[in-house]
Amino acid sequence: MRKTWAIVRRELIAYFSSPLAYIVMTAFLLMQGYIFYLIVSFLNNPQTPAMTPLRLFFGGTIFFWLFLLFVVPVITMRLIAEERRSGTIEVLLTSPLTEAQVVVGKFLAAMVFYVFLWLPTVLYVLVLMRHSEIDLGPVLAGYVGVLLLGFLFLAVGTFASTLTDNQLIAAIIAFAVMVVLFSIGLVEQLMMSSGLKAALGYMNLWTQMDDFSKGIVDTRHVVYQLSVGVLFLFLAAKSLEVKKWR
Amino acid sequence: MIEVENLGKTYVEEPVVRDLSFFVPEGQVLGFLGPNGAGKTTVMRMLTAFLPPTTGRVVVAGVDLDKDPVALRRNVGYLPENVPLYPEMRVDEYLRFRADVEEVPRAEVRERIDDVAEQCLIADVSRQVIGTLSKGYRQRVGLAGALIHRPPVLILDEPTVGLDPNQIIKVRELITGLGRDHTVLLSTHILPEVEQVCERVFIIDRGRIVADGAPDALRTKLVGNPTVAVELAGADGAATEALQRLPGVVAVSEQGEGHWLLEHGPDADPREAVFHLAVEKGWVLLGLSPEKATLEDVFVRLTTREEVAVVERAEEVSHA
Repeated sequence: MRKTWAIVRRELIAYFSSPLAYIVMTAFLLMQGYIFYLIVSFLNNPQTPAMTPLRLFFGGTIFFWLFLLFVVPVITMRLIAEERRSGTIEVLLTSPLTEAQVVVGKFLAAMVFYVFLWLPTVLYVLVLMRHSEIDLGPVLAGYVGVLLLGFLFLAVGTFASTLTDNQLIAAIIAFAVMVVLFSIGLVEQLMMSSGLKAALGYMNLWTQMDDFSKGIVDTRHVVYQLSVGVLFLFLAAKSLEVKKWR
Repeated sequence: MIEVENLGKTYVEEPVVRDLSFFVPEGQVLGFLGPNGAGKTTVMRMLTAFLPPTTGRVVVAGVDLDKDPVALRRNVGYLPENVPLYPEMRVDEYLRFRADVEEVPRAEVRERIDDVAEQCLIADVSRQVIGTLSKGYRQRVGLAGALIHRPPVLILDEPTVGLDPNQIIKVRELITGLGRDHTVLLSTHILPEVEQVCERVFIIDRGRIVADGAPDALRTKLVGNPTVAVELAGADGAATEALQRLPGVVAVSEQGEGHWLLEHGPDADPREAVFHLAVEKGWVLLGLSPEKATLEDVFVRLTTREEVAVVERAEEVSHA
């Protein structure tokens, strides 16, 4: 535990000593600010159809997905690729650390950073609560969905980062895998066979996120996102084990 | 302390290390010498449980690599080639991180950091960002990191590469000091370094040990007896014979007009006798210089041969 935590801490130092973290945070806040503006204008428009405007925060707009798909690879690309490029991986893996501890530590650091990104959005919720009635259930479920999606995508990114010593290539691989995971659900509409349609529907991240934002915490979604995430973390540890042999 | 038996490593059918066996007793400072690509780094990576060997057995400080690689890593401090560090961290942050992953007891962390910082002469830069340090400081920060858990065995891959002469001297002194309570294995291709720092030398070529012994023993064994070059004016034809008769001289060869080369036993020094002989005979002594064969000669001889035969090992250094 202590050793894993040491890696988390080191990784956070690395995040916040690079300009990348601040660029990502700024971009994220700009995007969320815009969405907040949309929400407020919805609320001010008497012709708005009845809906919970905060759903827009959680996957209700394409911005959310674009942002996740672009930013998660940026968060994770450095994790292990940079260790391999600079040779520090040799120092890590000649300490009494297992590959799994290294992967988990790195991944947790990315997760902490991701949570940190979302933290300021709580302010928006507080502001809205002062001026209107907010149903907190869907908001909490929305945050659960955001965390789960982060878990899944960051695990993919961590895995991609073990595959190469080039950060850019790691980011591109992560992006490609995430696009595949994301678009599995979109392909659903094109399927004729109902079995296939159901299977793909089960993996549709968009509708899963939509459910969360409506306040539905469906255990199937939870299990799907967690298990795929864990699978990628496992692959990351294995890939690290094999890569150092060469 | 380090036991290696029939160690071998093969990359895609290409043997990089072949059938290496050796033993390093506790407290010895051992130099790994060899041309680039000889397999030094590969051997070190196997001894630190970074790379799994293809064949053979490695035991470091009583721990078998096969049985418990993580425990083996606890006993080894490793400084990889080119000293990889995290440039964005401060020196004390880095040492703290190393202390945590190397399982230094929590209560001792602060003290150990201060200890290694003092030992490695980096206490004055402890709040500096590593990326802004000079190469010499970085080298010592890396070394401090490798020492933080007080490992019985230290493995240093080319610890003085890229340093300026003053820094090299500092790092060498440091290593010599470490040899007092650690078993140290260091690799280098700088020959004088080995002669200064190490009690014992391995010369490795193409994945094999081609020589093993104390630097002095290797020199004598592989190059032959030490020699003295003598230059005389006014000496007659009988000079060769007269020189030959001096005590301790094993052989004399005439190197041209007025020049002789005396080969003498490792413990004898015939220079005084040469002087007295010249005085007695009325010759003018123009030059008298000992020509110690360097390890360089041994190295070149061993590693440039077409087919390197494994040289019989020089006597085991009696440090055990």
